[in-house]
Amino acid sequence: MSSPKQAAAVETKLTGGHRACAGCAFPIAIKEVLSSCKYPVVVVNATGCMEVTTTIFPFTAWKVPFLHNAFENSAATCSGIEGAYQSLKKQGKIDKNIKFVAFGGDGGTYDIGLQSLSGAMERGHDMMYVCYNNEAYMNTGVQRSSATPRGSSTTTAPAGKVINGKQQNPKDLTEIMVAHNIPYVAQTTVGMWPDATKKFEKAFEITGAKFVNIYSPCIPGWGIETSQTIKLSKLVVDTCMWPIYEVENGKYKINYKPATKLPVTEFYKTQARFKALLKDEAQIKLIQDWVDAKWARLQLMEEATNKA
Amino acid sequence: MTTGKQLIKGNTAIVEAALDAGCRFYAGYPITPQNEIPETMSWRMPEEGGTFIQAESELISINMVFGASAAGARAMTTSSSPGISLMQEGISYMAGCELPAVLVNVMRGGPGLGNIAPSQSDYFQAVKPGHGDFHIITLAPHNISEMYDYTFDAFDLADKYRIPVMILADGLLGQLMENVELDRSRKPALLNAPKPWALTGASGRKGQRIVSLLMQPGALEKHNMDLNEKYNLIKKNETRHELAGMEKNPEYLIAAFGTCARISKGTMNIAADAGIKTGLFRPITLWPFPYEALKEAAKKVKKVFVFEMNLGQMVEDVRLAVGDDSKIEFYGRPGGGVPTAEELFEFIRGKVK
Repeated sequence: MSSPKQAAAVETKLTGGHRACAGCAFPIAIKEVLSSCKYPVVVVNATGCMEVTTTIFPFTAWKVPFLHNAFENSAATCSGIEGAYQSLKKQGKIDKNIKFVAFGGDGGTYDIGLQSLSGAMERGHDMMYVCYNNEAYMNTGVQRSSATPRGSSTTTAPAGKVINGKQQNPKDLTEIMVAHNIPYVAQTTVGMWPDATKKFEKAFEITGAKFVNIYSPCIPGWGIETSQTIKLSKLVVDTCMWPIYEVENGKYKINYKPATKLPVTEFYKTQARFKALLKDEAQIKLIQDWVDAKWARLQLMEEATNKA
Repeated sequence: MTTGKQLIKGNTAIVEAALDAGCRFYAGYPITPQNEIPETMSWRMPEEGGTFIQAESELISINMVFGASAAGARAMTTSSSPGISLMQEGISYMAGCELPAVLVNVMRGGPGLGNIAPSQSDYFQAVKPGHGDFHIITLAPHNISEMYDYTFDAFDLADKYRIPVMILADGLLGQLMENVELDRSRKPALLNAPKPWALTGASGRKGQRIVSLLMQPGALEKHNMDLNEKYNLIKKNETRHELAGMEKNPEYLIAAFGTCARISKGTMNIAADAGIKTGLFRPITLWPFPYEALKEAAKKVKKVFVFEMNLGQMVEDVRLAVGDDSKIEFYGRPGGGVPTAEELFEFIRGKVK
C-alpha cells in the first residue's frame, strides 16, 4: 500500500498529455494498478475512452507493453498472451515473472465482454481483469449499460415526461465474478488510493485469475464539475451503493464501513444525470430499499464466510 | 420531423423512415457514427407505441431482430462496420430461415477498429455476406432524402421476398444534414399483408416451423435451389440504378455508389467545364447489381472510371459487367479518405489526355 504522495515519487507508467477529459477518473485507476506492480507488466485494453484517449497514433501514453483489441475481446486476448507466456516458460525460453492485466470499461465488461471475461476467469489464467466502471457507454456518447444505475438519464434511456431514465437496477458484476470461485475478487474506488493500491498489490502476488471492479466517475457523462471526481467516488461509498470489499478464496471482507450511512439522495443530488430521478420519491424509495437489502446481504456474507 | 421541406440529419431520416414504414421493433447497440439512430429510437419508438431495446452487443441486436421477425414484426437494427461483422452469423441464419428485416450499415474505416470516418470498405460484406450460399438486398443511398426513401422501401422489399435488406450508408451520409423535401404521405404497401409463415401460435391451425438446419440428404440442396429461384426473381424485378448525363453522348462513364456517386456529380460539372463529357452510372441496388444496364452504358464510352472510398471492391462487379478490363480505370481512397470532386477530375484528366 502506498499513499498518493509516495506514488508520486516513483516513475509513473502512464505519462501525462493523453487526451482523457480534465478530471477523468480512469488515469487514476491506471496509476493505482501500475504503481502497485513490482514486476514487468503487460496491459491489454478493450475499446473505450481509455484506449481511445491514451493511444492516439502515433502517440502512446503507456510506458508498458500495450495491446488493444475490440470491445468484447480484452479478456480473451489477455488469455492468449498469458497462454503464450506459459508456453514460452515451459520451453525454457523465458524465465521472467511477468504480470498480465486486462482493462475494460463497464460497457466492454458488464455487457459485450462478459462472455470472454467469464471464460478467462473460469479457465483460471494467471491474469488480472480491471473493470473501470463509469456506469455508461461514455466513449460513444453516454448510452446506458447494464452498470447504469436505475433513474440515471442516458442518451438511450433518456429522462422525459414519462420515465426518468433507466428503469432497471445495475447488474452486480462483482458478485458474478465471485461466483466464478476465483482466488481474488475486489471492489474499490479511484478516490480511496490506499485501499485500491493495497488490493492491486495483493492481487499481483496471487497466482490465478483475479478481478477488480473500480468505481470511476465520468465528468461529461455524469454532468459534474472536473473537481468532483475524487469526492464523488468516495461519497458513493458512504451511501453503500458501491461497497468497498474483497473476496479472497471465498471469504468476504468489507474493507470500509461508513460511520454514518448516507441516504442515496446525497449522491444523486450532486449529478445532472439524476435530475429527473430526484423528483420521483417512489423510485428513490425503491432504490434505497434495494441498496439497503444489498448492503445487509453483503454484511451477512461477510459474517457467514468468516465463521470458524 | 414533419412533412415537406426541412433540414435533417441522415441518421434521423432513417429513424423516421422506419417508423413511417411501420417498423415497431428496434434493437441496437452503440457504435459511432450511427449513434443518433439508437438514441433517437430510444424515445421515438415508445412515442409510436413500439419497442426499443438496447442490446448488450451487436450479436444480440441481430438475434433479437431474428426473434421479432419470426414473430411477424417489422424489425430493424443498425450499426457500423465492426458491428456488422459481429452480426454476420445472424444475417446468414435469417437468410436461411427467410426472415425479413431491415439492417443499416453506416460504414466507417477498417479493417479492425479502423476509425470513425466515412468509408465504403464494407461493399464486400454487404454484397457478398456471411457463410453459406445466400444474398441480401443492398440499397445504397447517396443523399439524405434517399436515406429516408430507401429505408422506407426496404421494409416492403423485405416482406415481399422474406429477405434481409441492408441500407449501405456511410459516416458522411449518417452525419450530414441536408435540406430535403420529404413526401411522408406514402403508406407502406405490404404493412398489413398477411405473414402466414410467421410463428404466431398454432391455435386453430397446423404448427409450422422456421429452420435453417436441413440434415436429410438433399434437403438443404433443395432449399438452396429454392432460395436461388427467389434470388433470380429479385434480380429480375428489383435491380435499380441511376444513369445520368448520357443525353450528351459522353466519351467517358463514371461508375460510383453512395457518397462517391454524390462527389462524382461535382466532378462531372468540373469535367464539362474543361470540355470532357462524362456520364454517371450509379448502382442503387448493389445486390442485385445492375450488370446488364452497366454493360449497355459502357458500350457507348471509351473508358469507365470507377471511384470508391476503398481499395477496389465494387470495381470487381464493374469488371464483370463491362467485360473489357482495358476500359476500366479505378481510383480509390481507403481508411476514411474522402476524395474531392477536383481530385477525381484530376485523375480523369490524367487518364484521358
